[in-house]
Amino acid sequence: MPCGVKMIGKIAWKNIWRNKVRSAVVIIAIAIGLWAGMFASAFVVGMMNQKIDSVINLELSHFQVHHPSFQDEMLPKFVIPNSEEIIQKMNNNEAIKNTSPRVVAMPMINSANYSGMLKVTGIDPENEKRVTDLHEFVLEGKYFEGIKRNPILLSKKTAEKYKIKIRSKVVLTLQDKQGEITAGAFRVVGIYDSKNGMYDEMNAFVLAPDLQKLLDINHDVHEIAVLLNEHDLAESVATQYQEEFPNLEIKSWMDLASGMRFMVEAMDVYTFFIVGIILVALLFSIINTMLMAVLERVREIGMLMAVGMSKLRVFKMIMLETLFLCLIGGPLGLLLAWICIQYFGRYGIDLGGASYSDYGFTNLVYTQLDMMSYISVTLMVLGMAILAAIYPAVKAINLIPVEAIRKI
Amino acid sequence: MKKNYVIEAENLSKIYAGVVPVKAVDEVNLQIQDNEFTAIVGPSGSGKSTLLNMIGGLDRPTSGTIKVNDILLNGMTDNQLINFRLHHIGFVFQSFNLIPVLTAKENAEFIMLLQKVPLQQREKRVMSLLKEVGLDDKLDSRPSQLSGGQQQRVAVARALASKPDFVLADEPTANLDSKSAFNLLDIMARLNQEEGITFIFSTHDQRVIDRARRVITLEDGKIVSDEIR
Repeated sequence: MPCGVKMIGKIAWKNIWRNKVRSAVVIIAIAIGLWAGMFASAFVVGMMNQKIDSVINLELSHFQVHHPSFQDEMLPKFVIPNSEEIIQKMNNNEAIKNTSPRVVAMPMINSANYSGMLKVTGIDPENEKRVTDLHEFVLEGKYFEGIKRNPILLSKKTAEKYKIKIRSKVVLTLQDKQGEITAGAFRVVGIYDSKNGMYDEMNAFVLAPDLQKLLDINHDVHEIAVLLNEHDLAESVATQYQEEFPNLEIKSWMDLASGMRFMVEAMDVYTFFIVGIILVALLFSIINTMLMAVLERVREIGMLMAVGMSKLRVFKMIMLETLFLCLIGGPLGLLLAWICIQYFGRYGIDLGGASYSDYGFTNLVYTQLDMMSYISVTLMVLGMAILAAIYPAVKAINLIPVEAIRKI
Repeated sequence: MKKNYVIEAENLSKIYAGVVPVKAVDEVNLQIQDNEFTAIVGPSGSGKSTLLNMIGGLDRPTSGTIKVNDILLNGMTDNQLINFRLHHIGFVFQSFNLIPVLTAKENAEFIMLLQKVPLQQREKRVMSLLKEVGLDDKLDSRPSQLSGGQQQRVAVARALASKPDFVLADEPTANLDSKSAFNLLDIMARLNQEEGITFIFSTHDQRVIDRARRVITLEDGKIVSDEIR
């Protein structure tokens, strides 16, 4: 390093400790700004990833296959033709982890105390285990064990609403394939709680053959849920099968979950704004502090230029002072953020009474942030600090030495 | 035969613009030779600091020319002037103006660092200069740990560090007690006599005037007397 640069660095380093309290305030502001930016990002990323996990691992899987009219009309007759052949073909694809054929209906459900409408999905419990985490959420009773005839798995919310318990009887009333009203009695085999209130409120599960029988659709299914080995392949594999089966409707989870694509994009914008607001606040804090540091040293800076320190060197000195503050505050903020993100990533942030669950989000958010985000937020803070230093540095080099050295 | 002057000013004027323009220096002609020990004196507002600032390339004349060792300062850009000052002119200011975060040694060394003088030469020169000004036992003291007189002696060492063509000292004794002022003047007079360093002071301190070998008196921006002793 050239000795002049070393000396300027040394002066800049010593300058930042001339007013320890002020420097400490800036360092803390940078650290807190960085922490806040990262933590806010980690919170949003955690919340979104949990929602995406929930959508994929509980609600939709990576993509689904339907009869083109089924999603709109939900009529039993819109089954998937040749579903077994399609499933077999899919199961031979290495990108696909598992498939789960389902029968779907929207019956009236009646208990002794309450009546209402639910989405009832007929599943093969073993197949479903390989595609969704439903079995892991069973709180009471067992996952389709213990009741042989017409078992039904309900959510805790539904059980409370309908005032029913394990082994209670409920009656499903629905239209069969021919449009005839039919009904069947089911007994509660288990109660689950996925922590996704909106999903729980809407969904119940029965065995596929029981529902097929009620609907009079033989062995046909309405839906094939497909889980992939990699999240990122969802759109491309779905498109590939859509091209292969143009008479079916094959949609990825982003298109199936209404508003999910919008939500993911909106959350990115939301995070951008939060981090942006924090950075702007930090920007003005640094500008203010560095400007004070320059204005307090007008005579000294004037002297430096008078005795021969070039404007470029003065500029570098002020920039270095800011950079040093950032290099102290930055790692502090990074460490603080990393500790908090790790801690809440492990134990979660309990949103308490907040009704996020009603909107499909869990009440317990586990923060998470990838390395790229750590790097990008750090670079943004550093870039912002450099930007903040420019104005005070320009102010310094615009001083007129002969006037500056006379300032009191 | 034409004499070689360190400083040569011709018809030098400085007018400060304003509602009522002020003529701080008025058509001054001045030549200063090598090895002079010159005091520019005059009452407050007589224009001595303005004249000194123009000689030092810190201020630009409204009209007239100024040359340092035959190099014309008029027309130089700000950066050229800064570079010129770095290599040709030493400054001693009234308020010492040391860098508070650096030690006495670092303050004296600073100019040489800007000049990119190699380490060994720097070390040697800074030790010798601080010894000359009697501060070789205060190398690691910061300005706040030094008296006013000691700080001004560091400033002299700093001014000489760059091996300037001349040293401009603006009221160097104004903030010093008598003992420190005499001490400083002794050092500067010795440097002038023994090493031939040219000193130009702006002052109204009688102690400085008494030691000067040439006294230029300004009044209302004009030279009213130029006495060589």
